[in-house]
Amino acid sequence: MENKKPLSPHIQIYSWHISSLVSISHRITGIINIIAITIICFWSCWLILGENNYDFLNYFLGSLISKFIILGVVWSFSFQTLSEIRHLIMDMGYGFELQTTKVTGLLVILGSLVLTVIIYLIGRNFI
Amino acid sequence: MAQISLPKNSTVNKGKYYKDQTGSKNIRKVNVYRWDPSTEENPRIDTYEVDMDNCPSKVLDILNKIKNEIDPSLAYRRSCAHGVCGSCAMNMGGKNGLACTTPHTEIDGEIDIYPLPHLKVKRDLIGDLDGLYKQYQSIEPWLKNNSSKESTEIFQSKEDRAKLDGAYECIMCACCSTSCPSYWWNGDKYLGPAVLLQAYRWIVDSRDDERKARLKKVADELKLYRCHTILNCTSACPKGLNPAKAIAEIKKMLATANV
Repeated sequence: MENKKPLSPHIQIYSWHISSLVSISHRITGIINIIAITIICFWSCWLILGENNYDFLNYFLGSLISKFIILGVVWSFSFQTLSEIRHLIMDMGYGFELQTTKVTGLLVILGSLVLTVIIYLIGRNFI
Repeated sequence: MAQISLPKNSTVNKGKYYKDQTGSKNIRKVNVYRWDPSTEENPRIDTYEVDMDNCPSKVLDILNKIKNEIDPSLAYRRSCAHGVCGSCAMNMGGKNGLACTTPHTEIDGEIDIYPLPHLKVKRDLIGDLDGLYKQYQSIEPWLKNNSSKESTEIFQSKEDRAKLDGAYECIMCACCSTSCPSYWWNGDKYLGPAVLLQAYRWIVDSRDDERKARLKKVADELKLYRCHTILNCTSACPKGLNPAKAIAEIKKMLATANV
């Protein structure tokens, strides 16, 4: 009898709002960043092994898909950084009012896009 | 690990359709989660056409209307109808709240009504809250004072009393806890926003002598730190309280005090 009881719907029906979206994105970007950092480490190790590898990598990074992936990773880093700052402020006990959480959530989302563009432009023009 | 999909016996089927019998021009479709424990069938969504010309303003009024005029077999909890008892907590339009204080005009389109999320359903809109009440009991929500003078009152300054504002008003309707994804995935161990808000309420009570013991008790990876400030709880609370902030305050106390 006990096991027969159904479980009421949860994530399937619950509506999303800015804070929950930022929270889940924080986790997803965290995972992406760990994978990205690992791959970057392998890349740099690979470069040490020879010039041919550098040429191949250069060619690979020049492709459209790579550019898209690079932009994605830059965004992922930007988002994670800003969202982490938001979480740190919350850990200090500030910014829990509903209106404030909406504003800071939006700031994180918009800020991550702006930061992506800035980092990309810096990377293109100065490095 | 979180199970995102519903178990086999819990997937929701399409149910009956109740056409409007009044001939009213002002109709709204109301989709209600139904489950009958006397059958072997899966839960279903019944759709009711409700005449809004003769319906007061709240979602609970719609449910009463359905039960009184269309389908008496519908089961849901309700008592005070004034947002004080917390009985009619349910999920309406994708958000938890009290049916008696949620205006149906706030919900666009068809009105979807479900029981509180991620609970064992007893029948229709009635979820099983036993687990939550056991957790509430586990934080020992009563005054513990070791003072030997039992005949005199325990004085409290206005400042100390003010610390309880925003915590004592909780009616334990479970809207917050059942809105919390962390509580969905770890509800057996994580205490959840409702119970942690009450834990906080007793921790900050100046008349209570067991502050340290209480703090020690909730200082647990699973009991407390499963809160990841998703803030579904604060946005769901029908009394406008802030469980997320209370949880953050407990974390802060544990980080700064010598417990």
